[in-house]
Amino acid sequence: MLSAQERAHVAQVWDLIAGHEAAFGAELLLRLFTVYPSTKIYFKHLGVCPDEAQLLTHGQRVLQAVGVAVQHTDHLRAALSPLADLHAQVLRVDPANFPLLIQCFHVMLASHLQGEFTVQMQAAWDKFLTEVAMVLTEKYR
Amino acid sequence: MGFLTAEEKGLVNGLWGKVNVDEVGGEALGRLLVVYPWTQRFFQSFGDLSSADAIMGNSKVKAHGKKVLNSFSDGLKNIDDLKGAFAKLSELHCDKLHVDPENFRLLGNVLVCVLAHHFGHEFNPQVQAAFQKVVAGVANALAHKYH
Repeated sequence: MLSAQERAHVAQVWDLIAGHEAAFGAELLLRLFTVYPSTKIYFKHLGVCPDEAQLLTHGQRVLQAVGVAVQHTDHLRAALSPLADLHAQVLRVDPANFPLLIQCFHVMLASHLQGEFTVQMQAAWDKFLTEVAMVLTEKYR
Repeated sequence: MGFLTAEEKGLVNGLWGKVNVDEVGGEALGRLLVVYPWTQRFFQSFGDLSSADAIMGNSKVKAHGKKVLNSFSDGLKNIDDLKGAFAKLSELHCDKLHVDPENFRLLGNVLVCVLAHHFGHEFNPQVQAAFQKVVAGVANALAHKYH
């Protein structure tokens, strides 16, 4: 559960991302695939070497979903239910991969935003994304 | 091939040469204690850890962070034998300090974030990949002597 202060920090982080979902999403996926190559197995449909257009399209989709989660921190389960179904029934991404994505998210934000991405924002963002990951994998069994 | 490819060694050493090890150490340890507050369990004697500002400004945190990162930096000089380089420290963390090795992975990840913070766009995916490999290697080396 996020405190009011944490929700405020999450909103602050999102303000820095909103409008740039595709660019951030693409970089997030590129970092994920470069740093943790095994994660590519979940994206075979993007080909062996996803091109920029594919990364932008898919990255935007991922970040837009994060944006939905940001708007519904009070009721993540309800808001993310269709995505949770998708992950449980179709995608079945092993839960161990979500911390890898979250690490790449932090690194990306730190490298782009530098001083603007404060330690309090990182703490709240980590807690938030961890909750999102939990909701997305909750229906697995 | 050693632990890192020649290219990865180049990326790591190139960046590490520009790192203020003393400062980055304090920052990384501080961030660990803020983002993952349960890690404070190892630092009960460090005084005021009651808020993010208190932690980041705490002189004991900075001093200890400096010590930890200087150790890490020394280890980097033996990148092809991290287990050997960190054998003694591994025993210490198990037998005396009783630190869960998961904490080494957490600190490694936080260190990578701090480097990204400092180096901005220079900390591109390839550089991140090389450093994640290094911190994973150090974490494994520190866990190696646990029993």
